Amino acid sequence: MLIVGAGASGAVAAKRLAEEGFDVVCLEQGGWPDYKKARAPFPDYELTSGRDWAWDPNARNVPADYPVDDSESDITALMWNGVGGGTVVFAAHWQRNMPSDFQVRSLDGIADDWPFTYEDLEPYYVRAERDWGVSGLAGDTAFPGGEGPPMPPVPLGRMGRRVARAHNDLGWHWWPGPNAIATQKYGRLNPCTQRATCLWGCSEGAKASVDRTYWPVAVERGVTLVTGARVKRLMMGPDGLVTGALYVDRDGQEHVQEAAVTILACNGIGTPRLLLLSATNVQPEGLGNSSGLLGKRLMMHPFGTVVGLFDDDLDSWQGAWGQHIHSLEFYETDTSRGFVRGAKWGLQPTGGPLSMTHSYPWGEENAIWGPGFHQQLRKRLGRSAMWGIIAEDLPEESNRVVLDPVKKDNSGIPAARIQYRMSENSRRLMAFHQDRAKESLEAAGAYETVIAPFIRATGWHLLGTAMMGSDPSRSVVDAWGRVHDVPNLYIFDGSTWPTSAGMNPTATIAAVALRGVDHLIAERRNARTPS
Amino acid sequence: MSSPLARFDPRRRAALTAVADLLIPSGDGMPSASEAGVAGRWLDEVLRLRPDFGHPLAAVLDGLKGADPAAALERLRSADPAGFGVLAEVVAGGYFLNPKVRAAINYPGQQSVAIVTEQPPDYEQDGLIASVIGRGPIYRPTPGRKRDR
Repeated sequence: MLIVGAGASGAVAAKRLAEEGFDVVCLEQGGWPDYKKARAPFPDYELTSGRDWAWDPNARNVPADYPVDDSESDITALMWNGVGGGTVVFAAHWQRNMPSDFQVRSLDGIADDWPFTYEDLEPYYVRAERDWGVSGLAGDTAFPGGEGPPMPPVPLGRMGRRVARAHNDLGWHWWPGPNAIATQKYGRLNPCTQRATCLWGCSEGAKASVDRTYWPVAVERGVTLVTGARVKRLMMGPDGLVTGALYVDRDGQEHVQEAAVTILACNGIGTPRLLLLSATNVQPEGLGNSSGLLGKRLMMHPFGTVVGLFDDDLDSWQGAWGQHIHSLEFYETDTSRGFVRGAKWGLQPTGGPLSMTHSYPWGEENAIWGPGFHQQLRKRLGRSAMWGIIAEDLPEESNRVVLDPVKKDNSGIPAARIQYRMSENSRRLMAFHQDRAKESLEAAGAYETVIAPFIRATGWHLLGTAMMGSDPSRSVVDAWGRVHDVPNLYIFDGSTWPTSAGMNPTATIAAVALRGVDHLIAERRNARTPS
Repeated sequence: MSSPLARFDPRRRAALTAVADLLIPSGDGMPSASEAGVAGRWLDEVLRLRPDFGHPLAAVLDGLKGADPAAALERLRSADPAGFGVLAEVVAGGYFLNPKVRAAINYPGQQSVAIVTEQPPDYEQDGLIASVIGRGPIYRPTPGRKRDR
């Protein structure tokens, strides 16, 4: 078994396959994260976090990264190329999708239904939450009942309690935040120490990034994880099956890794890039692209932030970051609002003093510089809270990933180019949610609120570019992640999502990968493999 | 290649002082940027930590030479937001490295605070979560299924 990519879905697949005794090799273009550079306990933490833990590969520009030309995109794609993938720098908001997220066509008459339901996926959410180490509270009224995460939630904190009370007064939903953050000693994870530095490499070993949870276990069970291995293309046999991958090591040497089954786990940009790079005479538009949908329907979740300023000390540079509470009050479609679908809100800390000087989320019009500097700093530092808003964007074929005709990575492989325009539905949706989030913070006692300016560098969630479905003429993979056109090739990352939901996607990526790999294992005897 | 520090002779440090105090002036019992050492010791420390700031900062400061600092700063802000961003990060970054400044704003850094599970848990206190539960489920069920609560 060959897996390309050591992020969330690659880790889930590797560990599960190793448990069943398969011979597994994973090729990962990056290396292991260096947590010596996670500086949370030190005074230089805010200054150095942007150097060592930057989310934009074009800005980080380390050898493991490949360029992503975003000059034709409203949103910049963010990712971490290395063992752990995006989970190394994710905020660890662990959000299941809601039942309606799987039935958008049936319920709202738009886009496409997923080929399975919430109820089909629910057992895999439960298993994934135990495997990862998730904290939270069962019984959230925004979801069907059932088992919850294995650890109690992170504390609400002063800001969480304030906003929770306000939502109760408004009659609006909130719930303790579900997070892939340990609140107790849990397997290899330490309990969170609330330093609020989750997005810049967790120095405490409390955030459930898969480099800390899955990969050590998978390697112990015999998985061969090859770092610094950049796949140039997949190799095809005469029988229409994939035979493995051609990859380049850090010294530029080419190698061939053969495999009976190949699994792609490279995210919504890396996966279509690799399939487009692997075009053959028989499949000249890219492997698995007989539908013409490969690379299309890119979704990246437009992101909004609304900050509230409070008289009280809320300790708002501390806590899990992470989310203290979430709200799904306005998640479901209400067409009277002038748009379809919705967004999830997560209540978060606002950071230390240097963060108080930045133009995001505070806005250029509220620039702190000059005579009012010290007064503004006192207003913001420790006395602010913010809602982060994850907006569902709808799939559009014009939003897509293509190969860059000019730029190449440092192995000489064509880079990716993204073309993405935010739709009118997304704009209306975001404006509505920002206004409601402002009302939420005002009800919680904020004497001033700031709606953060739109910025491009928010494309953490890369989804939709190898859509799953049961009709091969309208999808790239089937309901189990198997590529319709190449029966021993699977995709387990977020590329396969038919619609984006308005949730942080890692929980569903993990559950879908687990479902897919379980099916692959169960069907193994009937599978076609290269001769 | 010269170290980032070598690029910052007294002339450039003087230029930095002039604009830094416009960004962070003294007041409210707090020192200005230059009084806190952002063009001296803390510039050295910022550049040690962020050598990538060296080149762009030098370019920004050279562009300010001879001009009225306030006018030059305004021009920089509108014409070169990225350059302004580096300048601002160096000034504020150095300012907040100074332990006296951190003490004056009551910022001890990102502290390690163990999670203490209260009894009852904080979300149960004052009927907080009971109120949410009392309002009932808010999700739309899968077609053909009923809400299970």
